[in-house]
Amino acid sequence: MTIAMESIAFAYDAPIGRPKPLILSDIDLEIQDGEYLVLVGPSGCGKSTLLRLIAGFDQATSGSLKIDGAPVKGPGRDRGMVFQDLESSLYEWLTVGENVEFGLRVSGVPRAEREVRREEALRMVNLLNHVRKYPDELSGGMKQRVQIARMLAMRPSIMLMDEPFASLDAQTRHMLQNQMVSIWTEIGGTAVYVTHDIREALNLGQRIVLMSAGPAAGIKHIYDVPMPYPRRQSDPIYIELLERISGDIEEEVIKVWI
Amino acid sequence: MDLADHAERPANRGPRFFGLSGGNLVSPAAVVCGLLIWEVAARNFIDPFFLPSVSAIFAGAVELHQQGLLLKHVSISLTRILVGWALGSLVAIPIGLMVGSFMTAKRIIDPYIHFLRFIPAIALVTLFIVWFGVGELSKILLVMYATSFIVMINTATGVVTIHQNKKLAAQTFGASVMQIFWRVTVPAAMPSIYVGMRLALASSFLVIVAVEMLAAESGLGFLIWTSKLYFKIDWMFVGIFLLGFFGLLTDYAWKMVGKHAIGRYVRASAKY
Ligand SMILES: Nc1ncnc2c1ncn2[C@@H]1O[C@H](COP(=O)(O)OP(=O)(O)OP(=O)(O)O)[C@@H](O)[C@H]1O
Ligand SMILES: [Mg+2]
Repeated sequence: MTIAMESIAFAYDAPIGRPKPLILSDIDLEIQDGEYLVLVGPSGCGKSTLLRLIAGFDQATSGSLKIDGAPVKGPGRDRGMVFQDLESSLYEWLTVGENVEFGLRVSGVPRAEREVRREEALRMVNLLNHVRKYPDELSGGMKQRVQIARMLAMRPSIMLMDEPFASLDAQTRHMLQNQMVSIWTEIGGTAVYVTHDIREALNLGQRIVLMSAGPAAGIKHIYDVPMPYPRRQSDPIYIELLERISGDIEEEVIKVWI
Repeated sequence: MDLADHAERPANRGPRFFGLSGGNLVSPAAVVCGLLIWEVAARNFIDPFFLPSVSAIFAGAVELHQQGLLLKHVSISLTRILVGWALGSLVAIPIGLMVGSFMTAKRIIDPYIHFLRFIPAIALVTLFIVWFGVGELSKILLVMYATSFIVMINTATGVVTIHQNKKLAAQTFGASVMQIFWRVTVPAAMPSIYVGMRLALASSFLVIVAVEMLAAESGLGFLIWTSKLYFKIDWMFVGIFLLGFFGLLTDYAWKMVGKHAIGRYVRASAKY
């Protein structure tokens, strides 16, 4: 599905009498069907906020956000979300397996198929050995993988992921990045992926969107990543992009800290 | 081997004797010690009319039992407490869920809750007797009154503190408002409901004793109140002791309900 954003601005609601600072402004971005798009930018610039707008949790203050031509009015089954926060979105009274099945249950998927999809999703994130554990018995990275699995089980056409691998070690993270690419290739959805790790962005994204520092953050630059998967870190394009993006992010981060 | 499995094992509990671990023996030993000190002190240094010894209290209990009064007072008090508490919670939980979930319900019901909950049940004893008679109805209604506000407030607080992300996630799964209510709101509020009911249980003990002292012909409150008239200080202590004992017992039972019957919903709150 295509996501089209036109001059989007956004401010969170504030109590009456308090100013409502613009978090995002002037965002123009078109995400193609089946594209893997990565969002990077300094902390606090509004990456999560942009993802929430696409998910339909919040509405743009001005501008238009359309999915396949239809304005986004709220959340829907077509868009899955992996929240940045590790555990607040998990259901602590359900086991890992039940959490993954939750969405299928409320969607009325019959039991036999639920089980198949649950197993499949848990296998993809390598959690099959932990089906019966409760969220409070999991590590941070495992919780994040439960979130990914329950999204995958729903097979959404758009996958919104907010730093899903942030709390993993470098090796596991790299493995999961490869896994992510093969999942995405296999199910062929659109992915919007937030990270603060430039290498991760380069391993995953077809395009990398660099956001400028807030307040009123916009898009500073969009990089095309013309490399086949799996990405090789020794590829000259990789090295060049890594350097350029690092330099540009630094520029933005410095703005915030002065 | 799975490393995480270790976490489920309880921490080192010390040496084991006859199948009982050292940790399990500490509480009984502390109780026995306390009772022994009491007994010795009461026999040797304290006026028995001020504080009778443990054995004298025990003798008083036996005497009460032989007169057929012990079981009668205990069972009537416990019935009032448990029925009032259960019915009070049954009324309070749906109201708490509504108030927590729907702004309109909150606006309508909130003023009543916050006004009424500061009027102690004890202040209403006479009024309830005028309204509902001297029988069991007025007593059970008073326990319901006392417990329901505690459960209501806890339930509503539980609902409003549910993390928004849980509901948002459910929305991305296409869950309807009703599905979110039953599958997210209710289970997520369970720990608060559970804790609220536990606190309310203690309040219902408080209320029923006061009611029985003021306006009843039976129950532990009545026993405590009237034993003063007969200079039966040991009976008074039997009544006081039984309140503590049955409080402990019902609280323990509620904890077991938390651990076993609804364990998955109150994993953290049932630990203490
Ligand atoms: N619920 C909210 N209410 C008000 N302001 C908010 C809220 N959530 C975020 N903000 C503000 O919006 C801005 C952007 O936050 P956001 O979480 O989108 O940043 P981010 O780019 O995801 O940062 P990070 O990389 O640290 O996750 C911040 O200034 C933050 O204070
Ligand atoms: Mg964020």
